[in-house]
Amino acid sequence: MSDKPTLWQTLLSVLSGFFGVQSERNRERDFRNGRPLYYILTGLLMAGLFVVGVILLVRWALSLAGV
Amino acid sequence: MGWKIIKTIGSGLGLTVYTATASAAWEVNLTPGVTDVSRSVFDLHMTIFWICVAIALVVFGVMFWSIFHHRKSRGAKAHHFHENTMVEVIWTIIPIIILVAMAVPATATLVQMYDTSEAELDVQITGYQWKWRYDYLDHELNFFSNLSTPRDQISNEADKQEHYLLEVDRHLVLPVETKIRFLLTSNDVIHSWWVPALAVKKDAIPGFINEAWTVINEPGIYRGQCAELCGKDHGFMPVVIEAVSKDDFNQWLADARVAEQAEAAAAERVWTLDELMQQGEQVYLRACAACHLPNGAGVPGAFPALKGSAVALGDVAAHIDIVLNGKSGTAMQAFRDQLSATELAAVITYERNAWGNSLGEAVSPAQIARLLTPSTGEAEQ
Repeated sequence: MSDKPTLWQTLLSVLSGFFGVQSERNRERDFRNGRPLYYILTGLLMAGLFVVGVILLVRWALSLAGV
Repeated sequence: MGWKIIKTIGSGLGLTVYTATASAAWEVNLTPGVTDVSRSVFDLHMTIFWICVAIALVVFGVMFWSIFHHRKSRGAKAHHFHENTMVEVIWTIIPIIILVAMAVPATATLVQMYDTSEAELDVQITGYQWKWRYDYLDHELNFFSNLSTPRDQISNEADKQEHYLLEVDRHLVLPVETKIRFLLTSNDVIHSWWVPALAVKKDAIPGFINEAWTVINEPGIYRGQCAELCGKDHGFMPVVIEAVSKDDFNQWLADARVAEQAEAAAAERVWTLDELMQQGEQVYLRACAACHLPNGAGVPGAFPALKGSAVALGDVAAHIDIVLNGKSGTAMQAFRDQLSATELAAVITYERNAWGNSLGEAVSPAQIARLLTPSTGEAEQ
Protein backbone atom coordinates (compact mmCIF):
# COMPACT_ATOMS: atom_id res chain seq x y z
CA MET A 1 0.00 0.00 0.00
CA SER A 2 1.31 3.40 -0.99
CA ASP A 3 1.86 5.85 1.90
CA LYS A 4 1.30 8.91 -0.29
CA PRO A 5 -0.91 11.50 1.43
CA THR A 6 -4.42 11.63 0.01
CA LEU A 7 -5.94 14.81 -1.39
CA TRP A 8 -7.87 15.20 1.86
CA GLN A 9 -4.70 14.82 3.96
CA THR A 10 -2.86 17.36 1.77
CA LEU A 11 -5.70 19.83 2.25
CA LEU A 12 -5.70 19.31 6.02
CA SER A 13 -1.92 19.80 6.18
CA VAL A 14 -2.17 23.08 4.23
CA LEU A 15 -4.99 24.29 6.48
CA SER A 16 -3.02 23.42 9.60
CA GLY A 17 -0.20 25.45 8.07
CA PHE A 18 -2.62 28.40 7.83
CA PHE A 19 -3.66 27.76 11.42
CA GLY A 20 -0.08 27.41 12.62
CA VAL A 21 -0.34 24.08 14.46
CA GLN A 22 0.49 20.63 13.04
CA SER A 23 1.09 17.32 14.81
CA GLU A 24 4.55 15.81 14.57
CA ARG A 25 3.09 12.54 13.14
CA ASN A 26 1.45 14.32 10.16
CA ARG A 27 4.50 16.45 9.57
CA GLU A 28 6.73 13.35 9.27
CA ARG A 29 4.22 11.68 6.94
CA ASP A 30 4.08 14.77 4.67
CA PHE A 31 7.83 15.23 4.49
CA ARG A 32 8.57 11.54 3.90
CA ASN A 33 5.95 10.74 1.27
CA GLY A 34 4.51 14.00 -0.06
CA ARG A 35 5.44 15.95 -3.19
CA PRO A 36 6.06 19.69 -2.59
CA LEU A 37 4.25 20.71 -5.79
CA TYR A 38 0.87 19.43 -4.49
CA TYR A 39 1.26 21.42 -1.26
CA ILE A 40 2.26 24.58 -3.12
CA LEU A 41 -0.70 24.34 -5.51
CA THR A 42 -3.14 23.61 -2.68
CA GLY A 43 -1.62 26.48 -0.69
CA LEU A 44 -2.10 28.95 -3.57
CA LEU A 45 -5.68 27.79 -4.03
CA MET A 46 -6.43 28.15 -0.30
CA ALA A 47 -4.78 31.61 -0.20
CA GLY A 48 -7.05 32.66 -3.10
CA LEU A 49 -10.11 31.33 -1.27
CA PHE A 50 -9.00 33.16 1.89
CA VAL A 51 -8.81 36.48 0.00
CA VAL A 52 -12.26 35.89 -1.52
CA GLY A 53 -13.52 34.99 1.96
CA VAL A 54 -12.20 38.25 3.44
CA ILE A 55 -13.79 40.24 0.60
CA LEU A 56 -17.15 38.54 1.18
CA LEU A 57 -16.85 39.12 4.95
CA VAL A 58 -16.24 42.85 4.43
CA ARG A 59 -19.15 43.10 1.97
CA TRP A 60 -21.40 41.36 4.44
CA ALA A 61 -20.29 43.63 7.33
CA LEU A 62 -20.86 46.74 5.20
CA SER A 63 -24.28 45.54 4.08
CA LEU A 64 -25.20 45.05 7.75
CA ALA A 65 -24.11 48.64 8.39
CA GLY A 66 -26.28 49.81 5.50
CA VAL A 67 -23.46 51.14 3.31
CA MET B 1 2.52 67.68 29.17
CA GLY B 2 4.88 64.91 30.27
CA TRP B 3 5.69 66.82 33.44
CA LYS B 4 2.00 67.31 34.12
CA ILE B 5 1.42 63.55 33.86
CA ILE B 6 4.23 62.87 36.32
CA LYS B 7 2.78 65.43 38.70
CA THR B 8 -0.71 63.93 38.30
CA ILE B 9 0.55 60.42 38.96
CA GLY B 10 2.58 61.67 41.91
CA SER B 11 -0.38 63.39 43.53
CA GLY B 12 -2.59 60.38 42.69
CA LEU B 13 -0.27 58.02 44.52
CA GLY B 14 0.19 60.46 47.39
CA LEU B 15 -3.53 60.58 48.16
CA THR B 16 -4.80 57.57 50.04
CA VAL B 17 -8.41 58.42 49.28
CA TYR B 18 -8.70 58.88 45.54
CA THR B 19 -12.36 58.92 44.55
CA ALA B 20 -13.85 57.97 41.20
CA THR B 21 -14.93 61.55 40.49
CA ALA B 22 -11.43 62.85 41.11
CA SER B 23 -10.05 60.32 38.67
CA ALA B 24 -12.02 62.03 35.89
CA ALA B 25 -9.35 64.73 36.04
CA TRP B 26 -6.69 62.14 35.36
CA GLU B 27 -5.32 63.03 31.95
CA VAL B 28 -3.58 59.72 31.43
CA ASN B 29 -6.59 58.10 29.82
CA LEU B 30 -8.16 58.80 26.43
CA THR B 31 -10.69 61.64 26.47
CA PRO B 32 -14.39 60.76 26.03
CA GLY B 33 -14.54 63.89 23.87
CA VAL B 34 -17.58 65.92 22.87
CA THR B 35 -19.03 64.00 19.91
CA ASP B 36 -20.97 60.74 19.56
CA VAL B 37 -18.06 59.25 17.61
CA SER B 38 -15.49 60.21 20.24
CA ARG B 39 -17.81 58.72 22.85
CA SER B 40 -17.98 55.38 21.00
CA VAL B 41 -14.21 55.43 20.42
CA PHE B 42 -13.77 55.94 24.16
CA ASP B 43 -16.22 53.14 25.02
CA LEU B 44 -14.48 50.83 22.55
CA HIS B 45 -11.13 51.72 24.10
CA MET B 46 -12.42 50.96 27.61
CA THR B 47 -14.04 47.66 26.52
CA ILE B 48 -10.80 46.45 24.99
CA PHE B 49 -8.84 47.74 27.96
CA TRP B 50 -10.94 45.64 30.37
CA ILE B 51 -10.63 42.59 28.09
CA CYS B 52 -6.85 43.04 28.27
CA VAL B 53 -7.04 43.37 32.07
CA ALA B 54 -9.06 40.13 32.30
CA ILE B 55 -6.60 38.28 30.05
CA ALA B 56 -3.67 39.55 32.10
CA LEU B 57 -5.31 38.48 35.36
CA VAL B 58 -6.03 34.97 34.06
CA VAL B 59 -2.65 34.44 32.37
CA PHE B 60 -0.50 35.88 35.16
CA GLY B 61 -2.76 34.34 37.81
CA VAL B 62 -2.30 30.82 36.41
CA MET B 63 1.40 31.50 35.92
CA PHE B 64 2.05 32.75 39.45
CA TRP B 65 -0.10 30.01 40.99
CA SER B 66 1.80 27.35 39.00
CA ILE B 67 5.18 28.76 39.96
CA PHE B 68 4.20 28.97 43.62
CA HIS B 69 2.37 25.65 43.84
CA HIS B 70 4.97 23.59 41.98
CA ARG B 71 8.00 25.09 43.66
CA LYS B 72 11.17 23.04 44.12
CA SER B 73 11.10 23.17 47.93
CA ARG B 74 7.89 21.14 47.81
CA GLY B 75 9.61 18.52 45.71
CA ALA B 76 8.07 19.38 42.34
CA LYS B 77 9.60 17.53 39.38
CA ALA B 78 9.48 18.95 35.86
CA HIS B 79 7.51 16.83 33.39
CA HIS B 80 9.34 16.35 30.12
CA PHE B 81 7.32 16.35 26.91
CA HIS B 82 7.87 17.81 23.49
CA GLU B 83 4.54 18.72 22.00
CA ASN B 84 0.84 18.62 22.67
CA THR B 85 -1.26 19.36 19.63
CA MET B 86 -4.49 19.73 21.60
CA VAL B 87 -3.04 22.42 23.91
CA GLU B 88 -1.55 24.26 20.93
CA VAL B 89 -4.89 24.23 19.12
CA ILE B 90 -6.67 25.57 22.22
CA TRP B 91 -4.24 28.43 22.78
CA THR B 92 -4.58 29.40 19.13
CA ILE B 93 -8.38 29.25 19.04
CA ILE B 94 -8.98 31.28 22.21
CA PRO B 95 -7.12 34.40 20.92
CA ILE B 96 -8.96 34.08 17.60
CA ILE B 97 -12.29 34.17 19.42
CA ILE B 98 -11.18 37.14 21.54
CA LEU B 99 -9.94 39.06 18.46
CA VAL B 100 -13.16 38.45 16.55
CA ALA B 101 -15.15 39.59 19.61
CA MET B 102 -13.11 42.82 19.61
CA ALA B 103 -13.43 43.26 15.84
CA VAL B 104 -17.23 43.36 15.90
CA PRO B 105 -17.67 46.61 17.91
CA ALA B 106 -14.49 48.07 16.34
CA THR B 107 -15.91 47.58 12.84
CA ALA B 108 -19.18 49.25 13.84
CA THR B 109 -17.26 52.31 15.13
CA LEU B 110 -15.03 52.45 12.04
CA VAL B 111 -18.02 52.35 9.68
CA GLN B 112 -19.53 55.24 11.65
CA MET B 113 -16.27 57.23 11.44
CA TYR B 114 -16.05 56.88 7.66
CA ASP B 115 -19.61 57.92 6.89
CA THR B 116 -19.05 61.46 5.60
CA SER B 117 -22.38 61.61 3.75
CA GLU B 118 -25.03 64.30 4.22
CA ALA B 119 -22.74 66.95 5.66
CA GLU B 120 -24.22 70.41 6.14
CA LEU B 121 -20.91 72.29 6.14
CA ASP B 122 -17.67 71.60 4.24
CA VAL B 123 -14.35 72.82 5.58
CA GLN B 124 -11.16 72.26 3.62
CA ILE B 125 -8.10 71.96 5.84
CA THR B 126 -4.71 72.44 4.23
CA GLY B 127 -1.46 71.76 6.07
CA TYR B 128 1.44 74.14 5.51
CA GLN B 129 4.89 74.21 7.07
CA TRP B 130 3.92 75.18 9.82
CA LYS B 131 0.35 76.39 10.02
CA TRP B 132 -3.13 75.34 8.98
CA ARG B 133 -5.33 76.96 6.38
CA TYR B 134 -9.11 76.68 6.69
CA ASP B 135 -11.45 77.16 3.70
CA TYR B 136 -15.18 77.35 4.37
CA LEU B 137 -16.04 76.02 0.92
CA ASP B 138 -19.72 77.08 0.93
CA HIS B 139 -19.03 80.56 2.30
CA GLU B 140 -16.09 81.91 0.27
CA LEU B 141 -14.11 82.45 3.42
CA ASN B 142 -10.59 81.24 4.09
CA PHE B 143 -7.78 82.11 6.44
CA PHE B 144 -4.58 80.85 7.98
CA SER B 145 -4.31 79.87 11.60
CA ASN B 146 -0.87 80.62 13.04
CA LEU B 147 0.67 79.82 16.41
CA SER B 148 0.22 82.81 18.71
CA THR B 149 2.39 81.79 21.66
CA PRO B 150 4.85 84.66 22.20
CA ARG B 151 8.46 83.94 21.23
CA ASP B 152 9.78 84.85 24.69
CA GLN B 153 7.82 81.96 26.22
CA ILE B 154 9.28 79.55 23.69
CA SER B 155 12.82 80.73 24.44
CA ASN B 156 12.24 80.54 28.23
CA GLU B 157 12.52 84.27 28.73
CA ALA B 158 8.95 84.45 30.06
CA ASP B 159 6.76 82.06 32.04
CA LYS B 160 4.82 79.61 29.92
CA GLN B 161 1.07 80.24 30.02
CA GLU B 162 -1.73 77.69 30.32
CA HIS B 163 -2.18 77.12 26.59
CA TYR B 164 1.49 77.22 25.70
CA LEU B 165 1.93 76.05 22.06
CA LEU B 166 -1.81 75.26 21.90
CA GLU B 167 -3.02 78.76 20.97
CA VAL B 168 -3.49 80.38 17.55
CA ASP B 169 -4.27 83.83 16.17
CA ARG B 170 -7.49 82.74 14.40
CA HIS B 171 -9.67 79.92 15.71
CA LEU B 172 -11.45 77.47 13.45
CA VAL B 173 -15.00 78.53 14.35
CA LEU B 174 -17.58 75.77 13.88
CA PRO B 175 -21.29 75.47 14.66
CA VAL B 176 -22.51 72.86 17.16
CA GLU B 177 -25.10 70.18 16.29
CA THR B 178 -24.16 70.40 12.61
CA LYS B 179 -22.62 67.65 10.52
CA ILE B 180 -19.33 69.09 9.32
CA ARG B 181 -17.19 67.39 6.70
CA PHE B 182 -13.45 68.04 6.74
CA LEU B 183 -11.51 67.73 3.48
CA LEU B 184 -7.84 67.38 4.34
CA THR B 185 -4.87 67.98 2.11
CA SER B 186 -1.43 69.54 2.29
CA ASN B 187 0.54 72.20 0.46
CA ASP B 188 3.99 70.74 1.10
CA VAL B 189 4.71 67.63 3.21
CA ILE B 190 2.49 65.16 5.05
CA HIS B 191 0.80 66.65 8.11
CA SER B 192 -1.89 65.16 10.30
CA TRP B 193 -4.80 67.11 11.72
CA TRP B 194 -5.61 65.83 15.19
CA VAL B 195 -8.25 67.01 17.67
CA PRO B 196 -8.68 64.46 20.50
CA ALA B 197 -12.01 65.90 21.71
CA LEU B 198 -13.56 65.14 18.30
CA ALA B 199 -11.73 61.81 17.86
CA VAL B 200 -10.54 63.08 14.48
CA LYS B 201 -6.97 62.36 13.45
CA LYS B 202 -6.44 62.32 9.72
CA ASP B 203 -3.36 62.64 7.54
CA ALA B 204 -3.13 65.68 5.26
CA ILE B 205 -1.22 64.47 2.20
CA PRO B 206 -0.13 66.64 -0.76
CA GLY B 207 -2.11 65.71 -3.87
CA PHE B 208 -4.74 63.72 -1.95
CA ILE B 209 -8.02 64.72 -0.31
CA ASN B 210 -8.82 62.78 2.85
CA GLU B 211 -12.24 63.03 4.43
CA ALA B 212 -13.36 63.13 8.04
CA TRP B 213 -16.46 64.44 9.76
CA THR B 214 -17.84 65.51 13.10
CA VAL B 215 -20.94 66.70 14.89
CA ILE B 216 -19.90 68.69 17.95
CA ASN B 217 -22.41 68.39 20.80
CA GLU B 218 -21.13 71.02 23.22
CA PRO B 219 -19.91 74.59 22.62
CA GLY B 220 -16.35 75.17 23.76
CA ILE B 221 -12.71 75.48 22.81
CA TYR B 222 -11.05 72.26 21.66
CA ARG B 223 -7.32 72.07 21.05
CA GLY B 224 -5.24 69.75 18.93
CA GLN B 225 -1.91 69.41 17.20
CA CYS B 226 -0.17 68.21 14.08
CA ALA B 227 0.38 64.48 14.54
CA GLU B 228 2.75 63.72 11.68
CA LEU B 229 6.37 64.84 11.97
CA CYS B 230 6.53 67.56 9.32
CA GLY B 231 9.77 69.43 9.90
CA LYS B 232 11.37 72.00 12.17
CA ASP B 233 8.20 73.55 13.60
CA HIS B 234 6.02 70.43 13.73
CA GLY B 235 5.24 71.15 17.37
CA PHE B 236 4.35 74.78 16.61
CA MET B 237 1.24 74.40 14.43
CA PRO B 238 -1.63 73.72 16.85
CA VAL B 239 -5.31 73.43 16.03
CA VAL B 240 -7.84 75.45 18.01
CA ILE B 241 -11.54 74.87 17.40
CA GLU B 242 -14.14 77.23 18.78
CA ALA B 243 -17.53 75.50 18.75
CA VAL B 244 -20.42 77.99 18.96
CA SER B 245 -24.19 77.94 18.51
CA LYS B 246 -25.56 78.04 14.95
CA ASP B 247 -26.69 81.67 15.37
CA ASP B 248 -23.29 82.74 16.68
CA PHE B 249 -21.65 80.93 13.80
CA ASN B 250 -23.71 82.82 11.21
CA GLN B 251 -22.95 86.09 13.00
CA TRP B 252 -19.24 85.22 12.99
CA LEU B 253 -19.38 84.47 9.24
CA ALA B 254 -21.00 87.86 8.56
CA ASP B 255 -18.44 89.66 10.76
CA ALA B 256 -15.56 87.88 9.06
CA ARG B 257 -16.82 89.02 5.67
CA VAL B 258 -17.13 92.63 6.85
CA ALA B 259 -13.59 92.47 8.25
CA GLU B 260 -12.33 91.13 4.93
CA GLN B 261 -13.92 94.04 3.06
CA ALA B 262 -12.48 96.54 5.53
CA GLU B 263 -9.06 94.98 5.01
CA ALA B 264 -9.42 95.34 1.23
CA ALA B 265 -10.52 98.96 1.62
CA ALA B 266 -7.57 99.70 3.90
CA ALA B 267 -5.19 98.64 1.15
CA GLU B 268 -6.45 101.51 -1.00
CA ARG B 269 -5.53 104.33 1.35
CA VAL B 270 -2.07 105.85 1.67
CA TRP B 271 0.10 104.31 4.42
CA THR B 272 3.05 106.07 6.03
CA LEU B 273 6.41 104.33 6.40
CA ASP B 274 5.97 104.23 10.21
CA GLU B 275 2.56 102.59 9.99
CA LEU B 276 3.88 99.97 7.58
CA MET B 277 6.93 99.31 9.75
CA GLN B 278 4.74 98.85 12.81
CA GLN B 279 2.39 96.37 11.17
CA GLY B 280 5.26 94.81 9.24
CA GLU B 281 7.02 93.82 12.44
CA GLN B 282 3.93 91.97 13.68
CA VAL B 283 3.45 90.20 10.36
CA TYR B 284 7.14 89.35 10.22
CA LEU B 285 7.12 87.77 13.68
CA ARG B 286 4.03 85.74 12.81
CA ALA B 287 4.81 84.63 9.27
CA CYS B 288 8.56 84.93 8.67
CA ALA B 289 10.45 84.73 11.96
CA ALA B 290 10.10 80.95 12.30
CA CYS B 291 12.70 80.53 9.56
CA HIS B 292 14.46 83.88 9.09
CA LEU B 293 14.52 84.47 12.88
CA PRO B 294 13.20 87.58 14.68
CA ASN B 295 16.52 89.41 14.14
CA GLY B 296 16.59 88.61 10.40
CA ALA B 297 19.82 86.60 10.77
CA GLY B 298 18.35 83.38 9.32
CA VAL B 299 19.87 79.96 9.92
CA PRO B 300 23.09 79.50 7.93
CA GLY B 301 22.80 76.62 5.48
CA ALA B 302 19.03 76.34 5.85
CA PHE B 303 17.26 79.70 5.85
CA PRO B 304 19.02 82.76 4.35
CA ALA B 305 19.57 85.91 6.39
CA LEU B 306 17.47 88.94 5.43
CA LYS B 307 19.69 91.36 7.29
CA GLY B 308 21.98 92.83 4.65
CA SER B 309 20.73 90.34 2.04
CA ALA B 310 20.90 90.98 -1.70
CA VAL B 311 17.13 90.42 -2.04
CA ALA B 312 16.07 92.69 0.82
CA LEU B 313 18.41 95.46 -0.29
CA GLY B 314 18.12 94.88 -4.04
CA ASP B 315 15.48 95.42 -6.69
CA VAL B 316 12.09 95.87 -5.03
CA ALA B 317 10.21 94.00 -7.79
CA ALA B 318 12.37 90.91 -7.24
CA HIS B 319 11.82 91.15 -3.47
CA ILE B 320 8.03 91.42 -3.93
CA ASP B 321 8.11 88.49 -6.35
CA ILE B 322 9.88 86.12 -3.97
CA VAL B 323 7.55 86.99 -1.07
CA LEU B 324 4.39 86.67 -3.19
CA ASN B 325 5.34 83.60 -5.19
CA GLY B 326 7.96 81.85 -3.09
CA LYS B 327 11.05 80.20 -4.49
CA SER B 328 10.63 76.71 -5.89
CA GLY B 329 13.01 74.08 -4.63
CA THR B 330 13.40 75.85 -1.29
CA ALA B 331 11.35 76.16 1.89
CA MET B 332 10.34 79.71 0.86
CA GLN B 333 6.55 79.60 0.51
CA ALA B 334 4.29 81.71 -1.70
CA PHE B 335 2.63 84.19 0.64
CA ARG B 336 0.21 85.71 -1.91
CA ASP B 337 -2.73 83.70 -0.50
CA GLN B 338 -1.52 83.71 3.08
CA LEU B 339 -1.34 87.45 3.74
CA SER B 340 -3.47 90.42 2.72
CA ALA B 341 -2.14 93.14 0.41
CA THR B 342 -1.57 95.43 3.40
CA GLU B 343 0.25 92.76 5.34
CA LEU B 344 2.45 91.90 2.35
CA ALA B 345 3.32 95.55 1.74
CA ALA B 346 4.01 96.05 5.45
CA VAL B 347 6.26 93.04 5.82
CA ILE B 348 8.24 93.80 2.66
CA THR B 349 8.69 97.39 3.83
CA TYR B 350 9.77 96.08 7.22
CA GLU B 351 12.33 93.69 5.73
CA ARG B 352 13.85 96.55 3.69
CA ASN B 353 14.10 98.86 6.71
CA ALA B 354 14.73 96.74 9.80
CA TRP B 355 17.88 95.41 11.54
CA GLY B 356 20.12 97.96 9.84
CA ASN B 357 18.58 97.51 6.41
CA SER B 358 17.60 101.11 5.69
CA LEU B 359 16.37 101.85 2.23
CA GLY B 360 13.85 104.38 3.57
CA GLU B 361 11.30 103.50 0.91
CA ALA B 362 7.82 102.09 1.51
CA VAL B 363 6.03 99.49 -0.60
CA SER B 364 2.41 100.62 -0.84
CA PRO B 365 -0.48 98.22 -0.13
CA ALA B 366 -2.26 99.48 -3.26
CA GLN B 367 0.75 98.47 -5.38
CA ILE B 368 0.60 94.91 -3.94
CA ALA B 369 -3.20 94.79 -4.30
CA ARG B 370 -2.84 95.38 -8.05
CA LEU B 371 -0.39 92.44 -8.27
CA LEU B 372 -2.78 90.19 -6.36
CA THR B 373 -5.95 90.88 -8.36
CA PRO B 374 -5.29 88.56 -11.35
CA SER B 375 -5.51 85.44 -9.17
CA THR B 376 -6.73 86.01 -5.66
CA GLY B 377 -8.71 82.76 -5.76
CA GLU B 378 -7.66 79.19 -5.19
CA ALA B 379 -4.18 78.43 -6.38
CA GLU B 380 -4.69 74.73 -5.80
CA GLN B 381 -7.78 72.86 -6.91
